[in-house]
Amino acid sequence: SSQLSSVPLHILLYVNGIYYIFYFLATLAMIIYKSQVFSYPDDFLAPDLAVLFLMAILEVPRSYLGFKGNLTEAEAPLGLSLGLTVASVVLSVYLLLWQTYVLWADVLLNALLLAAYALEAGLKVMAIAAFLS
Amino acid sequence: PSDTRDAAQARARSAPAPVTDVAQLCVCDLLVAQCDANCCCDPDCSAGDFSLFTTCSVPVVTGDSKLCSQKAAVYSLDVEADPPERIFKLIDQVNPSIFCIHATNYEQALYLKSPEIPTPENFDRLLAKFGGASFSAEPDSWSLGAEAPNPPDANETHRYEFGAPVQTENAFLRLPSPVVSSWCSDANPAGFLVNQATKCIRSVSVEKCDSIQALSMLFYINSSILAVPKSSQMVNITVQSIVVQSLGGTRTSLNSSDVLRLPMVLDELCINAVLGVNYHITHTDTGEIIEAAAAFVLGAISKETLSIEQSFEISFTQENAQPVPLSGNPGYVVGLPVRAGFRPQGYPSFPAGLLSNKHSQLTILHSTSTQDCLAAQGARAPVLFGYNMISGCKLRITAAMKCQPLAETLLDVLKGQSFPEYVASFGNSQAQDVLDWVPITQLHISEQMISNTLQSSCQIPVSLGIEVKWTKYGSLVNPQARIVNVTATITTSTLRQLPSGRERIIPVTSSVVFTDISSPAEPGYKAWPTINIKLPFDFFYPFV
Repeated sequence: SSQLSSVPLHILLYVNGIYYIFYFLATLAMIIYKSQVFSYPDDFLAPDLAVLFLMAILEVPRSYLGFKGNLTEAEAPLGLSLGLTVASVVLSVYLLLWQTYVLWADVLLNALLLAAYALEAGLKVMAIAAFLS
Repeated sequence: PSDTRDAAQARARSAPAPVTDVAQLCVCDLLVAQCDANCCCDPDCSAGDFSLFTTCSVPVVTGDSKLCSQKAAVYSLDVEADPPERIFKLIDQVNPSIFCIHATNYEQALYLKSPEIPTPENFDRLLAKFGGASFSAEPDSWSLGAEAPNPPDANETHRYEFGAPVQTENAFLRLPSPVVSSWCSDANPAGFLVNQATKCIRSVSVEKCDSIQALSMLFYINSSILAVPKSSQMVNITVQSIVVQSLGGTRTSLNSSDVLRLPMVLDELCINAVLGVNYHITHTDTGEIIEAAAAFVLGAISKETLSIEQSFEISFTQENAQPVPLSGNPGYVVGLPVRAGFRPQGYPSFPAGLLSNKHSQLTILHSTSTQDCLAAQGARAPVLFGYNMISGCKLRITAAMKCQPLAETLLDVLKGQSFPEYVASFGNSQAQDVLDWVPITQLHISEQMISNTLQSSCQIPVSLGIEVKWTKYGSLVNPQARIVNVTATITTSTLRQLPSGRERIIPVTSSVVFTDISSPAEPGYKAWPTINIKLPFDFFYPFV
């Protein structure tokens, strides 16, 4: 069949969306835990929370554009979604390396998220290549 | 000299660097250069010391246990070996929890912050941040709803409160006082209603006599005091009196005190230099200053003197009130003089009041360096409430001394010129309330009471013991000290006739003892609830 939409990409986008919700809630809960247990001054807490919420805000258009681009076989939304994925990767790397307190659970969650984003980016590139040709 | 001082100050300014290596940390190493018992991590212990230990008081030294993986120093004693030896192992301790700290980007997270050492540059900032009753760890910029100091209400009528600095038109009324050393610092403000007396040393030189501001009368009276803070009402400082002190120390009071005498150089002396200032501020009962006067002591500085001692005093009196210093309100405060007085002559009972003035304080003999009773006449120390005091002197008796004048002199030395008859029961007893005054009971005890035949010979007083019995009065929460009984006991001893040419030295002592005779507090209970049973009036209805 001449269906160019990528099924693995669709499945991955769906799974990533669910995982991201879990990731956001878990990271937020851990930041709250850290602020109670450790010494977490306000001017260190603010950037960490800002990054987390920015990533959550970016996730919505990123996910939506990914779904839409894949289903309509249009490369523009998919390309935009790829760009937002790169931004999310940067923010995730910040939370992995430059957070005030990086717990072992943080390392696990972020590593999983980065792996998912990397796989997603790879599939998106393949889909864009398929749509363009 | 100044650079070594700066270098020493710079060294003192930085705290020692914190030790973070677990192999070098030892919590039980308390004695310096000595081996602590059972302290396996002590570097001062030798192998021989380790063989005497029984256990290790500190088995493990680790950093923060919340870290995922960290170094730990493990100390243990191998008791199997002969002699027992200490085993030291550096291991990696792993925290299995999933919430262990993998890394931090905040260096103060795991270590206590080195405190900032105050320097002259950052002292004001540190004082503003930490000088209050409480401070938070968060930076001030992030605390929402920060308690800003209440903006001064423009419509509120200002008045001076106790301890508030007395303001003048450009700054504060200065009362120079010694700050860290004995040198005068001119930056000490006088507090309202805080009576102070300070003495400090100022460096002078005769050449710069008229240019040193602190030596001239003008420095102390040229600024006028604000009647209420932040107002424009001024009160000028008038010159109340001028006393001129000569180089030998004799003081003469000048008749005309309205002429301003400024320091000037005369015959290699600097005359009219201020040696003492006594401020008297009169205020109303609403906290407004209405009058200010200064009494000066001027003196001369000779060419050799490099420094003089200046004394400053400030006292506050309420208008239309006779100042009587209280020793407590109402109970006596420990350390304040016991107030005493006389009953005026000719009053057999208590119709009018008692005379109570400063000159009839309860005083005891003040020990001098010469310890000679006859030379020490006049040196008295006031009896301060709560302070047991003992003082004395030595009396040299020669054969030529007559008994009766000697006894009178000694009584004078022990009791002072005007030994009071009454002591105030409370610290704020008014002279009019006669019931608030306790009479001093005078007892005479003779030392040799055994044989009566010696009674007729000469008796000289050798000791005065004042016993003040006081009790706690009032509520349990805030008990007030109240003097209940004062007994002055004079102990006399016989003066044996000495062969001519010989002399004897006898000690003469006087003491004050304060005894607390408070009865223990009795708890008071509320009245037991009573059962109020009353039969209804128609209980015996058919029969009544």
